[in-house]
Amino acid sequence: MQNQLSTASEALSTEFKPVIIRLENISKVYGIGETLVHAIRDASLTVEQGEYCSIMGASGSGKSSVMNIIGCLDRPTSGHYYLDRVDVSQLGDTELARIRNIKLGFVFQQFHLLAQLSAVENVMLPMVYAGVKPGERRDRAVEALTKVGLANRLNNKPNQLSGGQQQRVAIARAIVNRPVLLLADEPTGALDSKTTQEVMDIFTELNESGITIVMVTHEADVARQTRRIVWFRDGEVLHSHLKPEDINQLAVS
Amino acid sequence: MDILESIKMATTTLVANKLRSSLTMLGIIIGNASVIAMVGIGQGAQKLASEQFESLGPNVLFIIPGNQNAQRNRDVPKTLVLEDAEAIVRQVPSVGGVAPQIQTRQSVTYSNKNTNTQIMGVTPEFLPVRSFNVAKGRFFSNQDVKGNTQVAILGPDVVKKLFGNSNSIGERVRIKNISFLVIGVMESKGSFLGSNQDDTVYIPLTTAANRIIGRTSPYGLEVSFISVSAKDANSIGAAQFQISNLLRLRHKITTEDDFTVRTQKDVLTIVGTISGALTLMLAAIAGISLFVGGIGVMNIMLVSVTERTQEIGLRKAIGATQQDILIQFMIEAIILSAAGGILGTFIGVGGIMLVGAVTPLKAGISPVAIAIAVGVSGGIGLFFGVVPARRAAQLDPIVALRSA
Repeated sequence: MQNQLSTASEALSTEFKPVIIRLENISKVYGIGETLVHAIRDASLTVEQGEYCSIMGASGSGKSSVMNIIGCLDRPTSGHYYLDRVDVSQLGDTELARIRNIKLGFVFQQFHLLAQLSAVENVMLPMVYAGVKPGERRDRAVEALTKVGLANRLNNKPNQLSGGQQQRVAIARAIVNRPVLLLADEPTGALDSKTTQEVMDIFTELNESGITIVMVTHEADVARQTRRIVWFRDGEVLHSHLKPEDINQLAVS
Repeated sequence: MDILESIKMATTTLVANKLRSSLTMLGIIIGNASVIAMVGIGQGAQKLASEQFESLGPNVLFIIPGNQNAQRNRDVPKTLVLEDAEAIVRQVPSVGGVAPQIQTRQSVTYSNKNTNTQIMGVTPEFLPVRSFNVAKGRFFSNQDVKGNTQVAILGPDVVKKLFGNSNSIGERVRIKNISFLVIGVMESKGSFLGSNQDDTVYIPLTTAANRIIGRTSPYGLEVSFISVSAKDANSIGAAQFQISNLLRLRHKITTEDDFTVRTQKDVLTIVGTISGALTLMLAAIAGISLFVGGIGVMNIMLVSVTERTQEIGLRKAIGATQQDILIQFMIEAIILSAAGGILGTFIGVGGIMLVGAVTPLKAGISPVAIAIAVGVSGGIGLFFGVVPARRAAQLDPIVALRSA
């Protein structure tokens, strides 16, 4: 109850926007008996439309677990998760797959492109599962690849692309189904500093065009480029609204 | 996601791994080809044997010395004699013709050429009963049989070997140093159960018994075999019954018969049973190789699931349901085995046609066998694809994505 009030007051303090993510008292427990591990303890978090938010924390802080729950890859042990105002916390595997398909876009550290498919075919993949008509798929895939600056690399296979280019293909794949939320899990972890900047610029552009982005990272330089930082420690939300400039003090402390 | 998309997706993956896909298919190809070829060849052998027995003439019965149904394999007493055949002609009303025969192998000589061939002592009844015809000259008469005359009718292959293209009728050949006048040449009949009927010399039964083979039985003039034709198709059963009774009386039989009367149907049934069992055995052996091929498919699919764990995780993350993944892997397995099945069918059919071209075995290409073989190999894909596909479908996407 108290928690609901506090989130409500948070919402009032800024201008009104639709809430994309609302985590309410989420806990995640792994294992049974004596080997019980509390990965997330009673965490609550709200992300509104258009936010550009990074989740930080030491390893083991629960940031990956919370990412899995936000990404509908995992269900919380207790608590409620409203994604785009729908409670998805206890849905079945098939419904979750459907939600991942149409409401979420994923970008991973290891790109996870299919080696046998060209860039445009990789980007078309989510639309295959969404049942988009074949004629429409290519047009939308080309559009998405153009948005990430790869209009001239449509038919290259992943092994013919640089790491940065591969990650841009993965971003195009993540946005092609027009998700309400773009999730990135250490998106620059496998890139050098120059390509990291390329990829971060694309994220910034996408956010400016209205896409909500949540990113897990342990790199302060990356987090500093987002507009809000959520800090996890020991499975709890330690700070939910850090500003990028606060990060230096935090990293020291 | 519809099934067409899944097929397209599976094909892309299989084409991307050409070597692996084709090696996996090879097991199914070999299995399927051998099933089809073995069944085809087995059926061909069955058909060939059946045709040969049918070519012996309609309504034919065979009287064979010895009890073919007896379990023990004893020395057969030489009790089937020419007099039995004569008694059948006189006393069995349902019989049309009776053709006793004795046979041996001897060397036949003409001038400086000789050939080892089958000598058959028969009566003129042999021609109508067994549906044989004389091509040139004439067959010998009952008079010749009575008079032990030294005349011979040659099979076409014997003529070819001894006379080449020159005329044989009117010439003399020697068998066991006895001179025979060639009076006719038989029409070509082809081979019967592996023995060449054209490589035969026909002489009067009495001449064969008295001059060539010698009388060896205390019961009379021993014969190797009696062919009997029933009056018509309806009297075959009656003829079998009456001949058995007559021979039992004549041989004073109280316990086991010392002869066997077989109808053409009996023989065909026996041939059918034997060659059917042979076909089944061949098919079973070939089936094992198909089964092993199926295990190969399962093996490769399991490897593929392990190898593509990350791909499966990614597909799940971007919205593939368990069912989508299950169907994708099932279809890959089915395509592998069905394509292997179809290729194997072509190879099997090719093998059958090759056998048909170089041997007298006209192996049948049965569409049913092909449908079954392709169906079975598709089914094998289904069966052996389930385990790997379920494993893939049930992968936890988080674990799958993290695996490196």
